[in-house]
Amino acid sequence: MAIETPTTGITRRRFLKNGVAVPLALALAGGSISTLFLRRADARGFYLRPPGALEESRFLAACVKCGKCAQACPNNSIRMAGAEAGIGIGTPHIIARETPCYLCPDLPCVKACPSGALDKTLTEVEKVRMGTAVIVDREACLSIRGLRCEVCYRECPLIDKAITIEPRHNERTGTHTIMEPVIHRDKCVGCGICEHACVREKPVIVVIKSPPEQKDSYEF
Amino acid sequence: MTVSRRDFLKASAAAAAFAAAGASALNPLRPKDADAASTSGLTWGKAPCRFCGTGCGVLVGVKDGKIVATKGDPQAPVNKGLNCIKGYFLSKILYGKDRLTKPLIRKGNRMVEASWDEAMNLIAAKFKESIAKHGPNSVAIYGSGQWTIADGYAAAKLFKGGIGTNNVEANARLCMASAVVGFMTTFGSDEPMGCYDDLDLGDTYILWGANMAECHPVLFSRLIDNRLRNPKVKIVDFGTRFTRTSQMANQYVKFAPQSDLALLNAIAHVIVKEKLYDQGFINKHVVFKKGKEKIGYGLEDKFKFADDPKPMTFEEYQAFLKPYTPEYASKVSGVPAKTIVEIARLYADKSRKVCSLWTMGVNEHSRGSWVNNLIYNVHLLTGKICRPGENPMSLTGQPSACGTAREVGTFTHRLPADMVVTNPEHREKAARIWGVDPHKIPDKPSYHTVEMFRALDRGDIRCMWIQCTNPFQSMPNLNRYRKGARKEGRFIVVSDIYPNRTTEQADVILPTASWVEKEGMWGNAERRTHHFHKLVNAPGEGRSDLAQLIDFAHRMGYGHLFPYKHPEKEIWEEYRKFGEGQGKDLAPYESYVKARGLRWPVVNGKETRWRYVEGHDPYVKAGEGIKFYKNKATNYKAVIWARPYEPPAEIPDKQYPFWLCTGRVLEHWHTATMTGRVMELKRANPNAVCEMHPEDAKRLGIKNRDKVRVSSRRGSVVLTVDLNGRGKSERGNLFVPFFDETKLINELCIDAYCPLSGEPDFKKCAVRVEKA
Repeated sequence: MAIETPTTGITRRRFLKNGVAVPLALALAGGSISTLFLRRADARGFYLRPPGALEESRFLAACVKCGKCAQACPNNSIRMAGAEAGIGIGTPHIIARETPCYLCPDLPCVKACPSGALDKTLTEVEKVRMGTAVIVDREACLSIRGLRCEVCYRECPLIDKAITIEPRHNERTGTHTIMEPVIHRDKCVGCGICEHACVREKPVIVVIKSPPEQKDSYEF
Repeated sequence: MTVSRRDFLKASAAAAAFAAAGASALNPLRPKDADAASTSGLTWGKAPCRFCGTGCGVLVGVKDGKIVATKGDPQAPVNKGLNCIKGYFLSKILYGKDRLTKPLIRKGNRMVEASWDEAMNLIAAKFKESIAKHGPNSVAIYGSGQWTIADGYAAAKLFKGGIGTNNVEANARLCMASAVVGFMTTFGSDEPMGCYDDLDLGDTYILWGANMAECHPVLFSRLIDNRLRNPKVKIVDFGTRFTRTSQMANQYVKFAPQSDLALLNAIAHVIVKEKLYDQGFINKHVVFKKGKEKIGYGLEDKFKFADDPKPMTFEEYQAFLKPYTPEYASKVSGVPAKTIVEIARLYADKSRKVCSLWTMGVNEHSRGSWVNNLIYNVHLLTGKICRPGENPMSLTGQPSACGTAREVGTFTHRLPADMVVTNPEHREKAARIWGVDPHKIPDKPSYHTVEMFRALDRGDIRCMWIQCTNPFQSMPNLNRYRKGARKEGRFIVVSDIYPNRTTEQADVILPTASWVEKEGMWGNAERRTHHFHKLVNAPGEGRSDLAQLIDFAHRMGYGHLFPYKHPEKEIWEEYRKFGEGQGKDLAPYESYVKARGLRWPVVNGKETRWRYVEGHDPYVKAGEGIKFYKNKATNYKAVIWARPYEPPAEIPDKQYPFWLCTGRVLEHWHTATMTGRVMELKRANPNAVCEMHPEDAKRLGIKNRDKVRVSSRRGSVVLTVDLNGRGKSERGNLFVPFFDETKLINELCIDAYCPLSGEPDFKKCAVRVEKA
């Protein structure tokens, strides 16, 4: 599974084409029109938006890029996107590997948002859905390899809810347990603390855009 | 790196006796690994992990004089190739940017680089001056359970046999002393009868004040695997805080701090009342004793205590237990009486193999020695001891708390192999082996650790040398002892590898070789002695603790006590004479070079998995079954002790309404001087947080991640509150880990200690919390 981090997903050429020329031309026409013509940020990769962010296209339309959410964030987790974000230039986002969202109980970023791009009806951190964590490289996960790591689990603010440990016998040693961290999508808020904490050089657990619910039965 | 290619090749050739395939018959590297090693230019050597008392084996990959890789040793019986996340990053701990590489001498507020000669001359001059003016008891050495066996041996020999002072202590006093007293008073000999095999072989595990999931990660993985393979296995976790261990246990029993004393007596009460005990075992192997009561807390300087054991009968012991009904214990502890009865029956269930496991919740306790005794009582009443899969097992926290501090005896009252300075025969034997006059070894212990730092504060001790530990972060009531060390007329020498909260108190800092930058031997919690070779040179001018001590001995005029060409090897052969024929037999040096550790007593090349039992322990003859052969005074029987419940030194009140407990986390070790230099571990767990019960927080208007000021009568610190972290404090309790050098939580801890062991209670004192 390829997960592009937002900071690396753009060439100089595309930057010039999409990032500067077109948005400049359309800036006056307003964000809502530009979304019709341009690829949204999440089409290239995935932008981890602050808690309560609307669905990406509606978010882009609603966000006035005022930066108040970033100002309100006590952990400096929220940063304003640069030109690499294309149409998303100036919108708030979180780079979990650098500074994840620490889920302030009173959600100051949501409260600070004047435009409704961050949904004010959100008041409980457990209902935040910024994305969902997934283990993208099981081969590289030290816990799955039998080592006693599980840093993502112990650091998870929804420990035992969003991440649990599923122990199983380690066939290789015959006397130890593999303590596998398992993510529960219905509980994961996508704060990115696990991605930040992962001890591997390239995190094996990352936050991705929450996929639509997939049922066990096939329906059409 | 100053090591030349030639030196490196020489060192590693000598070092890795097993590096070439098939070089050793005992435990060679697998040929496959050796091939891989030769093609990648790496040379692999074996070593025990640098961190906790588990003693996992690791393979250390060396290239161009630098450690470039480590991995779990698949041949190591303890861990079979696994590590915890600290062990995984071992290769990084020696290469922090601020590694100390030159001796430093204090000039006012600055530490100035100096040569070894200048530094060692200054130390010798200061120590000599102090001894001349104030006597040998004005100088002290404070070491650690991370000292190698040779380091500790040299320190004890030099200070006790050379300088003539019993001012030799180690940080193991802060973590294992109560366990030692427990073993000595109950069995007459230190260290467990069982071993880690019990984790695979038992079916019932009762944990007392131990967060194995985080503090003994690989052993916990082994314990849980036993349950995965055997559905009968039951794990019960007694604790004052819901931990990752509680989460995975079958049953979590929360109890009020200090009430373990009442609970264990109530368990014994039920066993006796319901006649669940093993009368045959008791008749054959047990005597009963009681000691002093209302024994105090050592809060005042120069506190003295001596127990006064009196024999009692089984009937008298039953009368002693009478008041400890489950209902009484329930009132003290908050544990339902029904649960207490159930646990007692579980301990006594004849179809179950029961192990008790414990760590610092029991030892760091103002009645820690008593709690150790009380756990043994339950095993002795039920006869569940010394057999595979059913043993009380005290776990340790440092790689050589057992091997060095406890076996060599780097404590004020001790000599090697269970001997004590107060016994003239023991002094005689030590003096003979050391080649000194027996009168040189003082016949009275001087100061145990807390009293030693008090003596430094008062000025009774003027010069202190600290090696391999960080007391000015890890001592309780830290403010007093930090200030004491900087008083006029004190001279502090610190041997360490990084700047830390102790080096900042130093007058001389000595850059030190660590782990595989020197040769050494360590002993883990299951009596397993490991050997490791020097695989790389220390950066800069770093020297081993041992080399520093021998150099110092020469400058002090005791060079003749250390006439060694290969000190590590010759010291081992000399040290081994202490345990020979004493049930503490150790193998010749070469055996350890080959083996992945051996569990003592090692007799005729054979290690011992279970002590005191026929068929396993060579000291128990055929037909004897079980024999506690080290307890000569009680006719080779173990002792059941009548130890009452007594309250702790400080109890929460209106002004300070919370209990404070301190402890560890998986990502960091001790005061994080090593793990704090590993970026990945630092990022995973950057700072100490204050765990609190959500309802307590709500009542005080505190939200998750708020900053709070936590204060005791002794100090205060600002911390971030964590309401949904890895540990869940019970109502009225707080938990703060002690690894964070920017948050000196030990300033808040009380320096009350167990009068029998001198071990301070880091697990309970009264504090208050307010929004910062």
